[in-house]
Amino acid sequence: MIKRLFILCISLCACSAFATNEAELDSLFRQFNVEEVEVTARALNKDIIIPQTLKGAELQRLNALSVADALRYFSGVQLKDYGGVGGIKTINIRSMGSQHTAVYYNGVQLGNAQNGQVDLGRFSLDNMEQIQLFNGQKSDIFQSAREFGAAGNVYLTTRRPYFKEGERVHVHGQLRFGSFALANPNVGVDIKLTETLSLTMDAEYVYSNGKYPFRYRRVLPNGETAYDTTAVRQNGDINAVRVEAGLHDYYSSTGFFRIHAYNYWSERGVPGAIVNNVWRNGERLWDRNTFVQAEWKDEWFNRWSTRVLAKWANDYTHYQNYDERLLPANNEYLQQELYFSFANKIQVFKWWDLSLAYDYQYNVLDRDNLLVETETEHFNRHSHWLSAATAFNIKEYVRAQASVLMTAVDNHAPRVTPAVFFSFRPYPAIDLSINAFYKQSYRYPTFNDLYYTDLGNASLRPELARQHSIEVAYRKATEQFDLSLNASYYYNRVTDKIIAYPKGQQFRWTMLNLGTVKINGVDAKADASIYLPLRFVLRTRLNYTYQTAIDVTDPNDTYYGHQIPYIPWHSGSVVLGLDWQSRRGDHYGLNYSFIYVGQRYCQQENTIYNYVQPWYTHDLSVYAEWAINRWWLKANFELNNMLGQDYEVIQNYPMPKQNVRCTLAFRY
Amino acid sequence: MHTRFQILILLALGSWLLFSCRGDEIVYPTIGTHVTDEVREGGLYVLCEGNMGSNKARLDYINLENGTYYSNWYGAQNPKQLKELGDVGNDIQQYGHHLYAVINCSHKVEVMDLQARHIGKIDIPNCRYMAFKGNKMYVSAYVGSISNPDLLGSVYEVDTATLIVTREVKVGHQPDELLVMDNQLYVCNSGGYLMNRYDSTVSVIDLSSFTQTQQIVVGLNPTRLRMDEQKRLWVCCQGNYNDVDPEIVVLQTNQVIKRISTPCANISIQGATAYVIDGDENKLRAFSTIDFSEQTCQIHIERFEHPYGLLATSDALFITDAKNYVSSGILYCYGYDGHLRWTAKTGDIPGHLCRVTGAYDIYEDTTHQDTTTYSPYLSRVYEYMPAMGQFVNELPKYEEGDDAESMCRKCEVSIANNAGGVISLGGWGGYVTFGFDHAIENKEGRDIQILGNAFYMTGSTEYGSSEPGIVLVSHDENGDGLPNDTWYELKGSLYDDPNTRHNVIKTYTREGDTLQNPFHKHPYYPQWLQAEEYMLTGALLPPQTVTINNQYVQRILDYGYVDNKPNNDKEGTSFDISWAVDKNGNHVELTQIDFIRVYNAVDENIEQTGELSTEISGAIDLHLK
Repeated sequence: MIKRLFILCISLCACSAFATNEAELDSLFRQFNVEEVEVTARALNKDIIIPQTLKGAELQRLNALSVADALRYFSGVQLKDYGGVGGIKTINIRSMGSQHTAVYYNGVQLGNAQNGQVDLGRFSLDNMEQIQLFNGQKSDIFQSAREFGAAGNVYLTTRRPYFKEGERVHVHGQLRFGSFALANPNVGVDIKLTETLSLTMDAEYVYSNGKYPFRYRRVLPNGETAYDTTAVRQNGDINAVRVEAGLHDYYSSTGFFRIHAYNYWSERGVPGAIVNNVWRNGERLWDRNTFVQAEWKDEWFNRWSTRVLAKWANDYTHYQNYDERLLPANNEYLQQELYFSFANKIQVFKWWDLSLAYDYQYNVLDRDNLLVETETEHFNRHSHWLSAATAFNIKEYVRAQASVLMTAVDNHAPRVTPAVFFSFRPYPAIDLSINAFYKQSYRYPTFNDLYYTDLGNASLRPELARQHSIEVAYRKATEQFDLSLNASYYYNRVTDKIIAYPKGQQFRWTMLNLGTVKINGVDAKADASIYLPLRFVLRTRLNYTYQTAIDVTDPNDTYYGHQIPYIPWHSGSVVLGLDWQSRRGDHYGLNYSFIYVGQRYCQQENTIYNYVQPWYTHDLSVYAEWAINRWWLKANFELNNMLGQDYEVIQNYPMPKQNVRCTLAFRY
Repeated sequence: MHTRFQILILLALGSWLLFSCRGDEIVYPTIGTHVTDEVREGGLYVLCEGNMGSNKARLDYINLENGTYYSNWYGAQNPKQLKELGDVGNDIQQYGHHLYAVINCSHKVEVMDLQARHIGKIDIPNCRYMAFKGNKMYVSAYVGSISNPDLLGSVYEVDTATLIVTREVKVGHQPDELLVMDNQLYVCNSGGYLMNRYDSTVSVIDLSSFTQTQQIVVGLNPTRLRMDEQKRLWVCCQGNYNDVDPEIVVLQTNQVIKRISTPCANISIQGATAYVIDGDENKLRAFSTIDFSEQTCQIHIERFEHPYGLLATSDALFITDAKNYVSSGILYCYGYDGHLRWTAKTGDIPGHLCRVTGAYDIYEDTTHQDTTTYSPYLSRVYEYMPAMGQFVNELPKYEEGDDAESMCRKCEVSIANNAGGVISLGGWGGYVTFGFDHAIENKEGRDIQILGNAFYMTGSTEYGSSEPGIVLVSHDENGDGLPNDTWYELKGSLYDDPNTRHNVIKTYTREGDTLQNPFHKHPYYPQWLQAEEYMLTGALLPPQTVTINNQYVQRILDYGYVDNKPNNDKEGTSFDISWAVDKNGNHVELTQIDFIRVYNAVDENIEQTGELSTEISGAIDLHLK
């Protein structure tokens, strides 16, 4: 029985892009959990917005340590990576800026009211079941009001417990180690408390000294070496502990209650930019991120669904710079967030749904400068969101959605943003669909934008993004292969962009709503699994993005019409995986991935002095998974940046050369 | 399935073709652009700051005689500088035959010759601005060498010959511009790090004692400081950008004599007029330095985005627009009649301008050396074996991992190809062996000039700073290109002196390295040596130091010694190969030589200044020059 379940699990996960959204995943788990029915997930692609998904075994087999690493395999995404395990990693979807991206942890948005950015390098893949990226918004109109507010959405879903009859406890553990003194143990336990109630706990520790070698080399035009030096990155160490626990109560076939607590502590060095005569910087950063979130969802009369979310988050940051050469800094930041959401969906007819949701959030930031005796600075913000959405279908052919969101943040005048989604499926028998959407969304100024000493500007307006997108998606699955193809074109326009602008003299900057960016892009994706003889499976995943993101603020600017910083014209990735399954269900495999980011510029002006070369890395991993009685064992070896390319994602922040990681894991 | 697979592959290949590959990182190019037909004298350096962390400080240069503007001039002159010029350029000045640039976030002062070829650097944390007097440079720095809770800044004194920090004095908060008047150094204390609690003083430092003697209260947030023809100091106080307005405060004999209420982002005084940038209204204002009245200024800069750098010279006024600070700026040249003469596109944040008399050009393909013509300058250092001394491990600087070979390369950086730097031979017996890219012929008269840093005492040619070194020469008899042949001494004026001891041997041990004086708290023993001791041999000249007017000076020797007479005394620093003698003192006639060795021939330790040590700053083949 157990073995069968495993096989099922894995093959299910392997069918990438099948069970695509959270709701479906939920129902699948439920079926496993309760009925243990063999599911053939050969359903049609029902999503009006087809997400990019990485999950289960496929996710675990990637050469990726954090969520940020995994997101590199999505199209339309640009990752900003300052290098090393501890370096900040943020993503930018379709060039609209990282603050237009919302990240959700088990359905609830992760916030950072201070700077609006979520460091995705801090989220480990070890406890992750699925990562999804939706352009625009999630397919399902049954969502919290705030979810309608972002331009791009990343949903992180952690692993959930599955118990078979007679099973009460599952234990898992993992040990990962690798280059630059990486040590990363992880343990967890799942306990079935009652028939419907289960508890999961997971803990992880990460250490790395961050001392990776990097090389700077330049040549003269005649080929002679101008300089060539290799140094070791300093002050890039990290110590982090993550502990989380969840209580899940799937108390009926329609309702569940979940509560999740998360805590993350870290201490790290901030290695800083490598510039002439400076090979080491002295900044240190301590973090503690704590949140507790609860979710309750149920359905009545088969027509009315309700979802209630509540969250409390408490994030502490301590930043110190005792570099003797610089302005000493010793600051403490404490952010707290209270969030509540109430969402309802009514099925008026089989083909017509309505939803209404209201969200409220309270943010507070306390800032303390420990070097001087000053009063704690205190900033707070009340936000309200009210959304109304509708979805209807015309037989099998057309699916449409429309939503409006009203956002009221503090004293800003309430703003209304619409979104319209449309999907057309010309041949019911063929899984081919044409999807399009238009969406407006605001990015509100962060506390830093508004109140940062000398820089803040309390009269800022929110930044507006308008997205237009059209997509053609095709999928075919047979006994021999499973193929999905996807191409989209998009046109985005970001206006009132919030940028730092010098105010008068002496390098005093202020934030202004000054900037317009016009973005045109094409994403193309092809995923295929080919079931070869002798239980071999070949999996490929190809992504390619072409983007122009042009600054059209003012024709008098020297950079008018230039590509905005750090947006490559071309980027893409290739993943090739070969998996072999033995008769008894063991897996052996090889995974190769290639990531390419094309030429780009590091400043607004596209001159030769700001030119940044393309970078690309080849990563390889081999793995073996064994199922022995109730034990599941795994060994994985990764070789990253195989050819040892010396590259930078952000200028003057060198990335590691070749590095290895080795993972041993068990589950019982 | 088959056809679909082909599509897949085609798709993959198709997208491949769009990709370009990564190549070698080529050095940043230098681009020359003709911007004007107007002919002026000399040239102008434009130091573009670049944004913090971007490492994009850029030194541009315009040849005013032919109107060619070179972006990244420094890059062309120094393509091999690791990570280029650095992060955030903050000041550029010419002093004597050198050009100095403060690179703020690279924590260094870059020292160059007048064509901006790298000579050396001085590490100073968070350095801001420079002033000069005599053979000293003064550099303001936002932080002192010892950090303190008051966040007081420092001024460092640097010896311009050795590029070594000699003294440091603590001043007010975040010192910016500074200048020397008579024997006093004035420094603006801006307090820029204090956030709304700016400083408001100018520190006065006595240069003899190098102590702060006074703090003059001027106005809030003083950043710029200039002197007019009446020796009055103009201090630009920026105010607090809130309720305290900016103003110019004029000082005379340390007293405030005038306050002019005006925004004053930058200032440049030419003749009897002070030109001031009013950044609030984007206006260039002109004030009389005689009666402080505001004059009509013909130059209009209202359309500038952010006027920033300013330099008023006798024939033209140069002013820059830094635009939005994160893209390239513009350099404007105006006539005083208000006519715009020309403009040039600069790097990011063109902030600092320096007019020089030399007009230079870079021709394409400067990287290829013409092998048919020999360089008149010393080109190669073969051996560098200083005796223990206070400048050993400093000139050149020893860094972890250096060996004898890399120390030689560092010597070359300092003294080869007319670089103009200095190396120290340490105590008695310490030597350096060098050569040229050709053999030096023994012709009529003097053949080689060897440069040091000797100087005469004021009003005397008999006494001064003389640290004599003896010259040995050698011909590459075995033709292996290495200095392992017979050495001959060039006989100097004290060769036959009865007090000169020949064939002296002295052993230096790591254990004996205890001589450190308070200015040089570092090991004196050459740190790159593996051995615990080493032996040096040679002649020892009699002591030459005497006390005159409470000053320690040396007798200047007649002829035949390195670092004995000032470099501008060409004959006094030149040598004739015909002076060569063998080890028995017999004259030897050499037709040409390939190697030259200089060793320190004196063994004297003076309490205040440390041991006498021969310094070398280059050598010239007189037949080619």
